Amino acid sequence: MKLYEFEGHKILSKAGIESPFFVTCASIEEVREARKRLKFPLLAKLQVLSGKRGKAGGIEIFKTKKKLVEFCRQKFGSEFQGEEVKFINLVQWVKIEEEYYVSITYDTRRKLPFLLFSYRGGVDIEEVKVQDPAAIVKYEINPIRGPAEKDLHKLFGKDEKLVDFVMRLWDAFWRYDCRLVEVNPVAKVTQSVILSDSEGSQDSSPAKRDQNDGYMAIDAKVILDDNGLVRQQGLDVLPKGAIGAIIAKRELEARKIDAEDYRGSAGSTFIELDGDVAILASGGGASLMIMDSVVASGGKCANYTEYSGNPPREKVEKLTKITLSKNGISGCLVAGAVANFTDIFETLSGFAQGLKSVKPKPNYPIVVRRGGPRQKEAYAMLAKFAKKEGFDIHLFGPQTPIPVACKKMVELSNEFKKKIE
Amino acid sequence: MAILINRETRVLIQGITGRSGAPVTSELLDYGVKVVSGVTPGKGGQEVDTVPVFNSVKEAIEQVGPVDVAMVYVPPLLALDAAMEAIEALAASRGSASGQAEVPLIHIFVEKVPIFDVAKILARAREKNVQVLGPASVGAISPGQGKIGSIGGPNPDKVFSKGPIGVISKSGGMCSELGMLITESGFGQSTVVGIGGDLLTGTTFADLLLEFEKDRQTRAVVAFGEVGGSAEIEAARLIREGKFTKPFIIYLAGKFAEKLPKDTSLGHAGAIVGLEATMDEKIKILKNSGAIVAKQFEDIPGLIKKVI
Repeated sequence: MKLYEFEGHKILSKAGIESPFFVTCASIEEVREARKRLKFPLLAKLQVLSGKRGKAGGIEIFKTKKKLVEFCRQKFGSEFQGEEVKFINLVQWVKIEEEYYVSITYDTRRKLPFLLFSYRGGVDIEEVKVQDPAAIVKYEINPIRGPAEKDLHKLFGKDEKLVDFVMRLWDAFWRYDCRLVEVNPVAKVTQSVILSDSEGSQDSSPAKRDQNDGYMAIDAKVILDDNGLVRQQGLDVLPKGAIGAIIAKRELEARKIDAEDYRGSAGSTFIELDGDVAILASGGGASLMIMDSVVASGGKCANYTEYSGNPPREKVEKLTKITLSKNGISGCLVAGAVANFTDIFETLSGFAQGLKSVKPKPNYPIVVRRGGPRQKEAYAMLAKFAKKEGFDIHLFGPQTPIPVACKKMVELSNEFKKKIE
Repeated sequence: MAILINRETRVLIQGITGRSGAPVTSELLDYGVKVVSGVTPGKGGQEVDTVPVFNSVKEAIEQVGPVDVAMVYVPPLLALDAAMEAIEALAASRGSASGQAEVPLIHIFVEKVPIFDVAKILARAREKNVQVLGPASVGAISPGQGKIGSIGGPNPDKVFSKGPIGVISKSGGMCSELGMLITESGFGQSTVVGIGGDLLTGTTFADLLLEFEKDRQTRAVVAFGEVGGSAEIEAARLIREGKFTKPFIIYLAGKFAEKLPKDTSLGHAGAIVGLEATMDEKIKILKNSGAIVAKQFEDIPGLIKKVI
């Protein structure tokens, strides 16, 4: 889960990493109020998940209130790099002596966390990689023991404060189950910097503090490990969508299914798409092939979602209802690979229960392609169910390759669309 | 021959009394696997399908002898402790196991293990020279010889059969799907391995290719690749360097996702759009290395026929 910059700073600050004082605003009224706590010049930074905000005009410096309010008024609710602007950070300007780059993430090939550091900060690290690879240092971290201080001293010499900054970044990385922490730039600051008292303080007036020769996080890019969220419930972060900052309503509903019941998984990933073939896929790998096959046959998927790991029937029932709640569906594809340990009778019973309660009653074609434990019983049940309840269900067994069933779905859905025109 | 498991493999199951641990015990016993002991702390003294349960891995090994494989079937947040316990205990009893066990194996079936816990498990396993399969791995099967994990479920013979094809997939479902496709077209499998779809996995495509290279039963390898990660690129590098010389057929899934924003993650935790390489880059690198990229999934049997 990718975080907004202001959320990233909150996590880094838990490990003792400071940033210039900022206030996160969600409206013009909040901007007006926040401005009183800051001195000009200050920066306005749009809070969106896409990178390279600076280059795209998402970060501006202001010396007057009028210009600041004008900018914020124009940006709130507007679209920036495909994303609605909901928050703007007002940030105290600080004089930066030097800018560095530092990040920690996982190397999937070496299977270890690693630190990436460069004295060339403030610019796109990908560009530095190309132009000046020698300016980047990579240091692998033993996840059990953490970075060795003597190694960090080798990297940073006698700069104790930089060593300290990196140690704190490592603390934030593992303590809060991050997949990535990136600070670009880390700023060396020597001037006295205005910082506010910590949250909840009675006195809201800015307090002066000497910062000489310290390091600050000017930016904070943090991606949390989704598997770690369950033990990080104290983190104050907003829910995010699978493909953007703003979570769609159905996506939020689908995600609740797993949050309420740990058995198997159903709906943890739900992506709204703009097609008309509803997808209830099974399995992380098969679901990808199913989507590819529908697209390759000329179909358009209404969503991506997946259930697997032998979920109980209630979870599949809920996911079915959510998936089929969209208007304009012209087909429903329930497909997955030959299951190893998922009970097909249980899960397809859940599908049938969910289907029965969808309003208005689906009259579009439904294609089912499954295999695995109790698949034959499941198909006998579905055939009977379809006849009794009047659903147009087409059953394909494991002998039909997944892509063939997907193609059939697209054909049936096209016929259906012609019929209702 | 085959890889990872054979008739002599001795297995211990952690979390044997649990919701997934108990059924897998019966499945393995039915397949003829030597499940010699199980562990659930606090339930020592019980039995699951005649398999004795102990309070710790160490105690289990002391009582009924060493094991080659420990299977971890516990809830996600307990996987770290369980795997660490198994690594220490299996490493300590190294060499005393039945036939092989020069490198003991920890199979982690558990899904949704936090990455940091996985990194710690893998780092410790490396220090102790223990192999890890998973996390989120469905297991591995050498048809007719043995299996570990839940691969094939209660009826593995329905989809798997003995033969010359090695199979690798991150996805458990696709292991069975590929197994069936290959079996139906008249070939069988040497070993089928589900490595798990997480960002970090103990055993990678490349690790398995090196083992399949040495295995005399295996004449070609079929793999199911996905969007995100570097597994396929690592495999291509081995082929280019001449370390894997048998035919390698691969199908890649997740092309549709290339249109979604970078960093979108899909069904598998490691299936992250744009992570490390795009789909086109993967296909190009694989083709250049000499790997056979199947355009359609159904093409795989035909491609196998061509190469063996």
